[in-house]
Amino acid sequence: MADYFEEMGWQPLAEGQAPNHYLHFARLLRDFNIFDGLSEKLPPPVSKKVLESIPTITLEQDGKQCTICLKEYCKGDTAKQLPCKHLFHNTCILPWLTKTNSCPLCRQEMETDDEDYEAFRKEKMRAKQRESDIENLHNSMFS
Amino acid sequence: MANIAAQRIKREFKEVIKSEEVAKCAIRVELLNDTFTELKGEIAGPPDTPYEGGTFVLEIKVPETYPFNPPKVRFVTKIWHPNISSVTGAICLDILKDQWAAAMTLRTVLLSLQALLSAAEPDDPQDAVVAKQYKENNEMFQITARHWTNVYAGGPNINKDCDDKIRRLADMGIEEHQARVALSSYDWELERATEQLFS
Ligand SMILES: [Zn+2]
Ligand SMILES: [Zn+2]
Repeated sequence: MADYFEEMGWQPLAEGQAPNHYLHFARLLRDFNIFDGLSEKLPPPVSKKVLESIPTITLEQDGKQCTICLKEYCKGDTAKQLPCKHLFHNTCILPWLTKTNSCPLCRQEMETDDEDYEAFRKEKMRAKQRESDIENLHNSMFS
Repeated sequence: MANIAAQRIKREFKEVIKSEEVAKCAIRVELLNDTFTELKGEIAGPPDTPYEGGTFVLEIKVPETYPFNPPKVRFVTKIWHPNISSVTGAICLDILKDQWAAAMTLRTVLLSLQALLSAAEPDDPQDAVVAKQYKENNEMFQITARHWTNVYAGGPNINKDCDDKIRRLADMGIEEHQARVALSSYDWELERATEQLFS
């Protein structure tokens, strides 16, 4: 049986040892996706300043679709344009941006009013920048 | 927010019903309540896979924050696949997690699941036992997946050898599904499966 335990990454119990029921229970919870909800915590809403500065544009032709409600825009309709250039109806995007700070289509993040989150977000952006700097350097050296 | 979700599902419902995949009987959605939060999905097993000929039922729960967050989807029909739990039906698929985007719909979800049945990703498994078999004994994986399709999803390919071995365990008092899981996990080696069941 040893091979089965090895395959599963488990260890057989030694003489006199009792199974760890907490561990089993945790595995059960994981298998039934109980933890999923916990990791879904959203980043804080867009800052008031950014929210107010999001431009409203008037569409010049029919055809494009709001990806939140799936209705097509008609010529003359207005829409909000996020910094990533994605367009949404005001009534469709507003409830989302009062909850969190990203474009629901491309996930690009915007500034928030939450100091702790901002520190974390800037660190994340710096890390990304460093990665691309290194990549550029690498490409310029080896191309 | 709940209102946006309900409106969206209503629209999508029409979209799926009108789509050509439905005409080909490949995907289907059905409403289970009038608040548009619970749906039943169905996908046909793709051709040239062990799932061919089977119909797989999905449980779809629409969160209040839909379409900003993905629907929660789970296989109700038991299935043998590296990215789907053979115990709970939980699915490991990026678009149902962090790769979700608001523009996706129930139709894209069902079609992506169908694509997942055609092309498993054993390196990002949901079911470690199935993924291991998929990588190390693919022929056995194909046999097992086809057998499960036959038994649970109405697939046409009866495997007499599998059925016989399950019957032998059933004769020893083992419940049928439990016997199938043990045999599937041990590459249909009756001896090893028996050992595990009685240990
Ligand atoms: Zn809209
Ligand atoms: Zn965007």
